[in-house]
Amino acid sequence: MINRSAQIRTLAKKEISDAARSGIIVAVAGFLFLASIIALGVSAIALHADVMAYDEAKALLLSLGKPIDALVAPTYFPLRLMRGFIEQIEIVGAVLGIVLGYRAAAIERGRNTLALVMTRPISQRVFLAGKLGGNSVLIAISLAVAFLAGLISIIVIGGVSFTGEEYLKVFLSYLASVFYTSSFFILGLVLALHVRRLPHALLYAFAIWLTFVLVAPQIGDTLDPDNQVSGGVFRKLHIAKPQEKEIMLSFSSYETIRNGIEEASPAKHFERLTFALLGIKETYNGLPILKILNERLRDPISLFMIFIAMALLLFVWPINFTRITKET
Amino acid sequence: MSGTGNILQIATATLRNSFRDKTVLLLTVLFLAMVLLSAWLGWSATQTINAIYIAATKALAAKGVVIPPNPVSEGSALSLLRNMSIYIALLGSLAALVFGHLAVAADRKSGVIPLIVSRPLSPNAYAIGKISAIIVAIIGLTIFAAIVNVLTLLILPGLTLSSDTWVRLIGFYGASMLYMSAFALLAAVCAVRFKTESMALLMPMAIWLVLTFVLPQVTANISPMAALNPLSATAALPSGPFFAATDALLGPLSMSEAYRSLSAELLQLSPDNLPRRSISSSLATMIVANLVLGAGLIFSMSRFDASRSDFND
Repeated sequence: MINRSAQIRTLAKKEISDAARSGIIVAVAGFLFLASIIALGVSAIALHADVMAYDEAKALLLSLGKPIDALVAPTYFPLRLMRGFIEQIEIVGAVLGIVLGYRAAAIERGRNTLALVMTRPISQRVFLAGKLGGNSVLIAISLAVAFLAGLISIIVIGGVSFTGEEYLKVFLSYLASVFYTSSFFILGLVLALHVRRLPHALLYAFAIWLTFVLVAPQIGDTLDPDNQVSGGVFRKLHIAKPQEKEIMLSFSSYETIRNGIEEASPAKHFERLTFALLGIKETYNGLPILKILNERLRDPISLFMIFIAMALLLFVWPINFTRITKET
Repeated sequence: MSGTGNILQIATATLRNSFRDKTVLLLTVLFLAMVLLSAWLGWSATQTINAIYIAATKALAAKGVVIPPNPVSEGSALSLLRNMSIYIALLGSLAALVFGHLAVAADRKSGVIPLIVSRPLSPNAYAIGKISAIIVAIIGLTIFAAIVNVLTLLILPGLTLSSDTWVRLIGFYGASMLYMSAFALLAAVCAVRFKTESMALLMPMAIWLVLTFVLPQVTANISPMAALNPLSATAALPSGPFFAATDALLGPLSMSEAYRSLSAELLQLSPDNLPRRSISSSLATMIVANLVLGAGLIFSMSRFDASRSDFND
């Protein structure tokens, strides 16, 4: 009798050992780690410089006997230092997923072993589940290393300690990043398993990444009327907030389209959720987790649904083994 | 056949083969679609601000308050093209990377390089032919984008294009060409030097990621997503010795910052705040990058072992 879970575990282990030997994966995971740690370190240095400048200005004003009311003290919320870190995961994490997915298929196509594996008593779904399982572990480990290094950096640089709830917020952000990156892994895998010419799969995946991670959120930002005028259109016209809301009521269709374009992007859902959890978006800073999740429920659900939709695509779309070999 | 004739033949064959490739066509179409989208975004955003202004004037008039001027009329006509610089930095450079890669990789994959070197053709002429093809392809892409954008500016009511505007527009597209050609040349160099096609594609992508998203953070604490916006080039340098040192050391290498600075300055995106980097220093960065990468391609071709030209993957 065939033990499917044992087959999946074996395939997953093989994926992990293959990937560990692959220079590309070490390079991309290392790149993500370095990029995110650089982002965090630079944010900490910038905050430190702001604090120094504030202290100097304060000392100067006090020495001149002048009031310091006009000075705005830099605010320090340690988790907010993770903004650049999260944005690097948003961009480079997705690339990591695509490269892992591409490699998982390319390694079989390059050795022409894909058709051979299928001659064994192993179903296509078990084979794909092994690939997905093994690479999900790799993604989870790569991101865990980056998040842990990030947390340790904040604790060391900032000399702060976190509450249990703050650790939970970071953990939920980590989970969101695993689902987000895994969705791009599946994209890379699906394309590399189905596109006739292997390098073209990488290009198509990057074109999709560019469209949904970078272009769609940018279009949403551009269509925001307040981003069209330096300082904001309503502030420029001296319109108060209640009146602004009243005027915008007549632009509700426009706002729906704008929001729809933004919501088409998994990166935007990931960003909205993590920015809220980590207090990077000021209105959520210090709020309890349940309240944040309640307000932003749409984002984790969307991230999860995107992952499920990608997984369904992977398992439902039959692979044509005769069509995809090294030569094609 | 003369050296010039050989170069012309290589360039023509490269262009013909590249535009037969579905991926190049797909990315070119995607880029051109984004150019059209950018024009629509500029038009749509202007119409929306105008509509908001009309609604606001009614509300302000009812209150008896002095009505401020329309913010649209205060800005530069060229600022409507701010999205173009973002799309060129994203899709234009990706299309250029793919074109530069395929310009060399197609010959390696089809196995024609040993045949080419058996003919009376020097490696230098081959490399110059490839560089010429890259330049022609990028000029073509840029001219299309320029025509669409100029038509948009001419269609929009209330906008007048002075001679200064035209000069700025030509300057912006010149800078865009330099930016895209640098990435195409980088991809062509990688396509010559790497043994596997996957690495030859991934390496220029990784360099592009570093230049676009990592370097701006190190030199000026600009977050990765904000680094796409040309207005970020006008932000003041953060205080402290760290950023003074990284900006001085790494700033001149930052192609994306040079392009953002040129876009912000030439399109007059923020007339009150000039970019940190001057036009001459930004242009110098882009021209030097093109020259170094062009020379790199010629050098790499001269050292290329034609007997092992096929990719290993």
